[in-house]
Amino acid sequence: MVAAKKTKKTHESINSRLALVMKSGRYTLGYKTVLKSLRNSKGKLVIIANNCPPLRKSEIEYYAMLAKVGVHHYNGNNVDLGTACGKYFRVCCLSIMDPGDSDIIKSMPGDH
Amino acid sequence: MVKFLKPNKAVIVLQGRYAGRKAVIIKSFDEGTRDRPYGQCLVAGIKKYPSKVIKKDSAKKTAKKSRVKCFIKLVNYQHLMPTRYTLDVDLKDVVSVDALQSKEKKVAAAKETKARFEERFKTGKNRWFFTKLRF
Repeated sequence: MVAAKKTKKTHESINSRLALVMKSGRYTLGYKTVLKSLRNSKGKLVIIANNCPPLRKSEIEYYAMLAKVGVHHYNGNNVDLGTACGKYFRVCCLSIMDPGDSDIIKSMPGDH
Repeated sequence: MVKFLKPNKAVIVLQGRYAGRKAVIIKSFDEGTRDRPYGQCLVAGIKKYPSKVIKKDSAKKTAKKSRVKCFIKLVNYQHLMPTRYTLDVDLKDVVSVDALQSKEKKVAAAKETKARFEERFKTGKNRWFFTKLRF
C-alpha cells in the first residue's frame, strides 16, 4: 500500500517535470528523432512508454547504453505519455536534449 | 551523450544489398557532404564470411576456407546498427572516399582490406566480427 502511494507521487512529479521541459526545454518526440538525437549525442534523457514494442524498446535502450544516456520507463502507455507532454497525439518515446528550467535529468537517473 | 559512431566501431548494415553484414567504421561524416547532406560513414565490411575451419582440414583447405570477401561503402547512419564491439584494424591509409571514385581504385582498396581482414581472422581475435549474423 505504501509502495503504491509512493509511485503515485513520483509519477506526478515526473509529469510536472515533463511539463516544465515542454515549456522551457528542447526535446524531440518519436522513435526516429530519438535515435537521431542519440547518434549525434544531443539527447540527455530518453523516456519510453510502457506499451512500446519490446524490440523497439531494446533497440533504444541499446543505443542509450552506447551513448551513456539514461532511459526512463514511463509508468503509462503512449497515450498517457502524449498527454503528459501536452500533445493530442500518442508519444511512444521522447528524448530530452535541453531540460531548460527542469531538474528532470538530475533527479531521474537515480529513479529509473 | 557520448559519441559512439567513431572509427573502429563494429556495426551491422541494415539496408541494401549488404543488409545483415558486419562492417567496421573507417571514417564518419557527421554533417555529411555537399552531395550527401546527411550523417554517413565510410565502412569496410564483409561480403562473404569465412567458412568454418575444422581440425581435420588440410592446409590447402584451411587457406581456402579462411577467405574473406570485402566491400567498401558509404552508408547513412540510419541504415546502420551500432554494436558494442570494436575492431581496430588500421584501414585509414587504404580506404578513403576517393577510393570510391573509380572502379580500379575501389578494387585495389578492397583487395588490401581483404588481406588485412584475413590476417586478423587467422590470428583468432575479434571472432564475433567474422561470424555470420544468424537471422
